[in-house]
Amino acid sequence: MDGIHDMGGMQGFGPVRPVEEDFKFSADWERRVFGLTQALGGITPFNVDEFRRQIERIPPAEYLNTLYFEKWLIALEWFLQDRGLVSAEELAASAKLFDADTAGREPVDGAALLAILGEGVELEYPRDTAVPAFAEGATVRVKLRHDVSHNRSPRYLRGRTGTIIADIGVFQFPDTVAQNIGTNPQHLYTVCFAAADLWGGEAEAAGDEVLADLMESYLEPV
Amino acid sequence: MSHDHSHDHDPLEKGTALRVRALEELLVAKGLVTSEALDTVISHYENNVGPRNGASVVAKAWVDADFKARLLADGPATLEALGFKGFQGEHMRVIENTPDVHNMVVCTLCSCYPWPLLGLPPAWFKSMSYRARAVSEPRAVLADFGVAVPADTSVRVWDSTAEVRYLVMPMRPAGTDVLNEADLAALVTRDGMIGTALV
Repeated sequence: MDGIHDMGGMQGFGPVRPVEEDFKFSADWERRVFGLTQALGGITPFNVDEFRRQIERIPPAEYLNTLYFEKWLIALEWFLQDRGLVSAEELAASAKLFDADTAGREPVDGAALLAILGEGVELEYPRDTAVPAFAEGATVRVKLRHDVSHNRSPRYLRGRTGTIIADIGVFQFPDTVAQNIGTNPQHLYTVCFAAADLWGGEAEAAGDEVLADLMESYLEPV
Repeated sequence: MSHDHSHDHDPLEKGTALRVRALEELLVAKGLVTSEALDTVISHYENNVGPRNGASVVAKAWVDADFKARLLADGPATLEALGFKGFQGEHMRVIENTPDVHNMVVCTLCSCYPWPLLGLPPAWFKSMSYRARAVSEPRAVLADFGVAVPADTSVRVWDSTAEVRYLVMPMRPAGTDVLNEADLAALVTRDGMIGTALV
């Protein structure tokens, strides 16, 4: 969806403020939200694209006014309710009001969870799973779109023309994975855009480039 | 509110802390999670996984041309052989800075980051300003970090829009011929591997 999360090229946020000793977690509750998200991913269950989709659905003003891990918390609470594991009443009361159906949702211990995270998620398919529509070196345009579901085709690239510099391989399709309606494996390409083709006369330097990894469905031939 | 999210003065933190504590207690009571598992995964990502992993890879590439060639050609297989794999790093690629090209990495849509090599991202990487500006004015963003890239060096910004996670290999500093791999690794900074610092 064309939400506030799609920030590339937006203006008005002021300078980046790096600090010498930066932090991963600014408070203990952030640690717990991170841990909860990792522990619940497999048993709730939800996948990364579903998770991103819920964060993207946070209303713009709220999105801008919540911390990073607060957004994770909002998404977590949504999944737990959507899967029938927790009710809104329980969240409001901070108390258990019913037993969740935990069949097939037995919690894993820390060691097992680390093993799962260490293995990662299978996202890629054998290269011959799909025939590539584009060759390296091809000129492509990012399709226009305005759908309300999840996608990974940033607004600042849509309608722009670039060059495929790599066919990375065959990957699952985030748009359908986020809706749990199939993986639709397809080729993923690194597309190179000249800065001047994105930002016109305001591009900082003629030779600068932006590269993005785009699913085949996001692209059309020129 | 100010337009950056300071972590020191978040008026919501107290309420959020309570909300998170209540949620964890509720989920433990329901038998869905154990606090032990949370403690373990938090400790792992806070203490065991961090930029030293990525730095060891960069230093190895600096001293071993064959390894470097394999790393640049096939990042996932080469890194997995070293034990670097896992969630948010299933498909990692290393991109090399040269005198002609300076690379930097952003995720404009969320905050994708190569966890197995760099750990969890710093706050600035997740900030609205970095996500918004890195693609459109990378040189101005680099200036926020005190970095000036020469005008005749191209800046290439990699937007992590899919599941590939990028690590920048900084240029090996001049005058380091006498250093061994471990000493070289100590020179490699987290920001250098995101592309917002030179090494």
